[in-house]
Amino acid sequence: MSQSDPNRTYVESTIIMTTVRVVVPFVFTFGVFVMFHGAESAGGGFQGGVIVASAVLLLAFAFGIEPTRAWLEGPLAQLAIASGGGTFALIGLGALLSGGAFLEYPAYGFGTDGVKYGIELVELGIGAVVSGVLVSLFFSLSQGDFQSVGNGGGNGSNNGNGDGDAAGGERA
Amino acid sequence: MTPVSTSLAVILTFAVLAAIAAILLRDVLNAIIAFAAFSFGIAVAWILLAAPDVALTEAAVGAGITTVLFLVTIAKTVRPGGERLFERIAWRSVAIVAVLVGALLTTIRSLPAVGSSEAPVATSRITEYYLQNAYPETGVENVVTAVLAAYRGFDTLGEATVVIAAGLAVLLVLRQEAYV
Repeated sequence: MSQSDPNRTYVESTIIMTTVRVVVPFVFTFGVFVMFHGAESAGGGFQGGVIVASAVLLLAFAFGIEPTRAWLEGPLAQLAIASGGGTFALIGLGALLSGGAFLEYPAYGFGTDGVKYGIELVELGIGAVVSGVLVSLFFSLSQGDFQSVGNGGGNGSNNGNGDGDAAGGERA
Repeated sequence: MTPVSTSLAVILTFAVLAAIAAILLRDVLNAIIAFAAFSFGIAVAWILLAAPDVALTEAAVGAGITTVLFLVTIAKTVRPGGERLFERIAWRSVAIVAVLVGALLTTIRSLPAVGSSEAPVATSRITEYYLQNAYPETGVENVVTAVLAAYRGFDTLGEATVVIAAGLAVLLVLRQEAYV
């Protein structure tokens, strides 16, 4: 009932790997499109950020969570979170410096174009925050269980069954 | 009934059934799948109600990412034993929930009809102001985005800050766990 096989959660599948390799660029582009195009159609930073994060999750399911984590090694996600929040705040403060109120886009003096591009930059910032938080949440949550089995001793590792099914859900 | 309200009734019935299934199913994996189905139903309902921005959020967050995060999380839990498919019903809790739902249902009568032109949201001066001035003032065609990022930009900055703060707090806690 409880086999403690470290690799039980990942099964290499050519079909899934090929599909994901084809689909991911489109998912990623669509996510960035939703971020940018929030001004003209449905969407915006929050939705686009989630879609970009789901592209990374697809990669993790197809090629294994650990290799994907190693591939994204470094403070990339943290950098996205910080720079996204920073962009939003700086755009607000820049308007303050240009003599307007906080986040008053017309104060930059580019007319409605300035407002529009300000809004789009803000949406990009939000997207970076959301995708960074979601990707790091995913990797943190899957840590421990998927890299080393039985971290908390023998009695806690009776989860082979549930894991097998979770992996089955991912495979389907 | 108009075609939209018929399909809305169908999809809401589906969503309610999926929600009940999510509560009753004993295996957490099944409950998560039912919960994703519920989110999907609600997303379609938002589309039928002509709210594509909310529908996109519900589909991406509710049906997509949340499901994956739940799956990753239950991989750490133990499956309940036994053959039963459904949870035993706690009738006392059902009674409390029924009272609460009954109390909320009494407010339905005072809600305007779906799509009614008499609804406060349609007749409000603020709505009129946004619809008339959002494009000339911001150059943004999607009024929802104009309100979110321009007129209510400060609120949205607060929202982004909440996401950052909550994300950092959860990540710190999880990291702590990994090194115990």
